[in-house]
Amino acid sequence: MSEVIVITSGKGGVGKTTTTANVGTGLAKLGQKVVMIDTDIGLRNLDVVMGLENRIVYNLVDVVEGNCRIKQALIKDKRYQNLYLLPSAQTRDKTAVSPEQMIKLIEELREEFDYILLDCPAGIEQGFKNAIAAADRALIVTTPEVSAIRDADRIIGLLEANEIRRSNLIVNRIRMDMVESGNMMSMDDVVEILAIDLIGAVPDDESIVISTNQGEPCVGDSSLAGQAYMNICHRVMGEEVPFLDLKTKTSFFGKLKKLFG
Amino acid sequence: MSVVIKSNKYGITLVLDRDTPFAELLTQIGEKFKASARFFKGAQMVLAFEGRVLNQDEQMQVLHVIEENSGPEILCVMEQDALKESFMRAALEERKAGQASSDGRFYKGTLRSGQVLESETSIIILGDVNPGATVVSKGNVVILGSLKGTVQAGAAGNDSAFVAALDMAPMQIRIADCIARSGDGRKAKASTEPMVAYTEDGNIYMEPLTKEAINDIRI
Repeated sequence: MSEVIVITSGKGGVGKTTTTANVGTGLAKLGQKVVMIDTDIGLRNLDVVMGLENRIVYNLVDVVEGNCRIKQALIKDKRYQNLYLLPSAQTRDKTAVSPEQMIKLIEELREEFDYILLDCPAGIEQGFKNAIAAADRALIVTTPEVSAIRDADRIIGLLEANEIRRSNLIVNRIRMDMVESGNMMSMDDVVEILAIDLIGAVPDDESIVISTNQGEPCVGDSSLAGQAYMNICHRVMGEEVPFLDLKTKTSFFGKLKKLFG
Repeated sequence: MSVVIKSNKYGITLVLDRDTPFAELLTQIGEKFKASARFFKGAQMVLAFEGRVLNQDEQMQVLHVIEENSGPEILCVMEQDALKESFMRAALEERKAGQASSDGRFYKGTLRSGQVLESETSIIILGDVNPGATVVSKGNVVILGSLKGTVQAGAAGNDSAFVAALDMAPMQIRIADCIARSGDGRKAKASTEPMVAYTEDGNIYMEPLTKEAINDIRI
């Protein structure tokens, strides 16, 4: 059994790469054999977020063009033995790879891995087409902003047109305080608009910024975001896990304000 | 068979029969190359003779015949004397390698992520090499700025090549067949003194660019 999951969003900067890194690491933590493929050719980031940039010798384009074997290009993670990264090329562009080549590559990887995660570039052009070509299911990342939701809606449509019907939603960067004050859409609002199943809600958390800059995914640590990502991993594997209560504990001062406000 | 084509490391060797008349040899050579014209088409190689000593004029005739039959492009004819040949070969390679490390060119500007600078000779960069950028040189690489990306020196296999930078914090350094990567720990602010990287016994070493270090550099 092996599953190919594309992590996509349409809009840039909503957290695709961070989600890929955290879900990949989380699944490896749960004992799965995982490979993450960065399909963002020309603007590679996943290696930086994983802290593996200094190990890159060969990349996705080298594999596709036959300059090296797949095994030579796969970078083993420094924390988990069963987690691998196939980095993208920085000196090329999206046209260096075709959807047919991606399908062939992933067919080969299917034999070895339980989960193959594809970090999709922003946009709906060639890079997106490459990323979704071989996917069995999709995780759609969005933030509670109208622009991100609009793009996510478009992406869901494109995925359905490409026969990828198992799409799940991750709502990223939720700020509960703003939701409570009515200045931000809640998860429920987003789910209602997009009408696909929610698989996770990740709060806007400082620990994400810190862990991303350090090249250490925060999945599974004590931070709220780390717990949220771990829950997503469990749900990806088909387990039922209740959703986290993202409500920030109101401070004493806040309570006072509420009392008098 | 009075003509046999053999391949060697640098091109082809024509094995010629000692007793066949030269004119007949020429026609046979012509036929051989004609038959394999498609195989040789566009190739560039060095030609050597074996089994028979040809004078200058005869050699020219053979070259002419090969050319006529759309064979490979012959760059030069190798001496028949094996000893002489290996000596010349060594001299040629030494010259090539020497040229790469002692000749140089300048590049001014910052190399940014995704940019690749390739050079047949040594290169001096007036600017920074950012993470994700790559410099590939068959000779040495000197960076008058900070090195945060990847550098490959001695790319043709010259293991006496070196890399020097004013601020040395590379992602990777490769010299000839050796490869070294940066550590995984959180980046301590690297010392800002100039450093030089070189290979010794298959390892890459980095040290401050002191007088002693400069004395040890071979060009």
